[in-house]
Amino acid sequence: MKPLRGLLPFAVLIAVWWGIKIGAEVPDKLLATPQAVWTSFVGLVSHGILAEYASASLRMIGTAAVISFLAGVPLGFAVGTNRYAARALEGTLRFLQGISGIAWLPLAILWFGFSQTTTLTIVIYTLIVPIIFNTMTGVRAIPENYTLAMQSLGAGRLRIVRDVYLPGALPSIVVGMRLGMGYGWRALIASEMLVRQGGLGDLIFGARTFGQIDRIMVGMVVIGTLYIVVDRLLVQPVETLTVARWGVLRR
Amino acid sequence: MMQRWIWRLLPLTPAALALLAWWAWFALDRPPPSVMPPAIDVVVTMANLAFGGRLPGDILASMARLLSGSLFGIVTGMAAGFVAGLNRPIANFMNPLVVFFNAISGIVWLPLVIGWLGIGSPLAIFLIWNTVFFIIFQNTVLGVQLVPEVLELSVQSLGGSRWETIRSVTLPGALPYILSGIRSGLGFGWRALIAAELVGATTGLGQLIFSGAEYHRADIIVGGCLLIGAIAMAMDRWLLLPIEKRTVIRWGLVTSGQGR
Amino acid sequence: MGDKIEVSGFRHFFQTEGGPVQATGTIDLSIKAGEFVTLVGPSGCGKTTLLKAIAGFLTPSEGRILCDGKPVRGPGRDRGVVFQELAILPWRTVRRNIAHGLEIAGAPKAEREATVARLIGLMGLGGFEDRYPHELSGGMRQRVAVARTWAADPEVILMNEPFAAVDAMTRLTLQEELGRLCAATRKTVFFITHSVEEAVFLADRVLVMTKRPGTIKAVLNVPRSTAGGRDWDSFTSDPGMQKIAGEVMHLVHAERV
Repeated sequence: MKPLRGLLPFAVLIAVWWGIKIGAEVPDKLLATPQAVWTSFVGLVSHGILAEYASASLRMIGTAAVISFLAGVPLGFAVGTNRYAARALEGTLRFLQGISGIAWLPLAILWFGFSQTTTLTIVIYTLIVPIIFNTMTGVRAIPENYTLAMQSLGAGRLRIVRDVYLPGALPSIVVGMRLGMGYGWRALIASEMLVRQGGLGDLIFGARTFGQIDRIMVGMVVIGTLYIVVDRLLVQPVETLTVARWGVLRR
Repeated sequence: MMQRWIWRLLPLTPAALALLAWWAWFALDRPPPSVMPPAIDVVVTMANLAFGGRLPGDILASMARLLSGSLFGIVTGMAAGFVAGLNRPIANFMNPLVVFFNAISGIVWLPLVIGWLGIGSPLAIFLIWNTVFFIIFQNTVLGVQLVPEVLELSVQSLGGSRWETIRSVTLPGALPYILSGIRSGLGFGWRALIAAELVGATTGLGQLIFSGAEYHRADIIVGGCLLIGAIAMAMDRWLLLPIEKRTVIRWGLVTSGQGR
Repeated sequence: MGDKIEVSGFRHFFQTEGGPVQATGTIDLSIKAGEFVTLVGPSGCGKTTLLKAIAGFLTPSEGRILCDGKPVRGPGRDRGVVFQELAILPWRTVRRNIAHGLEIAGAPKAEREATVARLIGLMGLGGFEDRYPHELSGGMRQRVAVARTWAADPEVILMNEPFAAVDAMTRLTLQEELGRLCAATRKTVFFITHSVEEAVFLADRVLVMTKRPGTIKAVLNVPRSTAGGRDWDSFTSDPGMQKIAGEVMHLVHAERV
């Protein structure tokens, strides 16, 4: 019953879309019919085209996410546990957050050409800044008493990182990951549109040049769906752990 | 004394190190200007563009788009947010749609909407609206739903009508969430704008740096990016943060939005 | 037997934007092994500063602090600390919080389990072993904090207003339990409070501090007729105890800020 209720709004949406398309006689070069989008979807799937473009995007965001996480979290820890480093870097990180990854795209194109490296660089930049920033703020928000108590129990630095900083900053790290994925997924799509070396952004922007509105709309649905799936996969388990079991609120 | 100065100057160290690295790059091997311009070139180019060049027009175009798109997004987002926040069934109905359309908000619409609006300001404004709307909507719903019921009941027990309750309790109660939504919404909107201008406009800061790539002018790109960051930071620090702080501090509200 | 803790010529300043601010006056004190010493004083007199210095969380501006004749250099497992605010880890169960000190020391599993079981019994935490802190009341959480410190078996225990945030009824129970725990384990305890009754009830010796910058203005011995005899019924009906409490109250009252 519950999943059905979640689908009802979409059924209404498709009905409205169809109504507008037919009622207002919107030409095909502006809006495709739901039918045409479905046909296009089936065609793209059966020829393996969709899988190819989608997997290129997923591979890219996955690679960028892993690299950004592995580099960003330790960096965030290093900065967060040292108040001088935090003071030195906070303003710069804020400044960089104001320059979206996509703004660096022209420079990246000059440096790396119209290549996968360009896209990867842009997406990593987009992801890593919020990860560093949120890890840093997460570490700094851990009550000092936790650390002091551990020291009195004889804990060394490594032990404190493992038992206090890591679980304590986890909710904040996840917020950073989510924010980074939100920015990063968009930066990826935008970059693929301009670089044109595969990926869902390439798919929909390429479809534009041939006026394939149905294909654009398939691409949009897939982009949205994949983002939601990735977001849930990332967030749900950690949310269950931190909020339900530890009673820790997300910051 | 000494320590205090170090503390004050500390935030400048990354910029100083970056300049040093930049200078070292030129001292060790001289990259072609199309890859990396000398720092002084960036300053000169930006000054030339600012006085008698296209820069003022580009800044104005970008700001006008950001302003109109955001304003549009804030008004519609708040209106829809209040309707959904005050009516559970409507909120339940809208939620799946919001989750989906939020996931494709902004730049993803570009290929489709170019066909509707063509290249230019309307396209950029649409993409900004589309980005800002969902953030404002979600924060408004959250803010409205989190207003303590006891406050609303107390106004009703004083004989306040439903409209009076909304005006004097729900709106100010939800305001901190809405304001923090506006703050992060403008952050997302600014990103969407630059992306939109790269391909979907003929003026604006995004177009400025994109044309820099076409003419292999790294000085324009680097200068443009720094300017984009500076504008975003100035907006946040001198416009949005003070507004948010003022209401939050004055009313003694410690809950700062962001789904707490 | 020598003194367990020895503080001599201690004085501390905090560095602020407007220059150094004096946190305490000159303080000398010594605590013998197995002694329970409480320290009462007005808010802001420097009680916490002194405790932090003994714990090794801050380096004194002047003077020296010895533990077992050796200078204190940073925190260590010979001096356990119980804080006022929550300092047990929200992501560990009661059992794992209590065992944490032993885990850090690398104690074998059997020993850890035995110690944890003993303390869970002593502190009345039976049945809550696998709960997380957010599922417990404030009083229960402080029990866990006390048990965690005792489980690590430090020789000295420093307690900074551990029951201040607990409701009044629970506080009475916790004070009695702490009295029993100390009688059973003979630890050296340094306990800070701003409650006169609590200070006299628990102590072998009460120190009274002046207002900021605080120095120790009086020391009162609290004779114990029976070794473990710390319960509120006999305390309130004992005229000797009430007389001491009255004296301390008088001394503290003169230091109102």
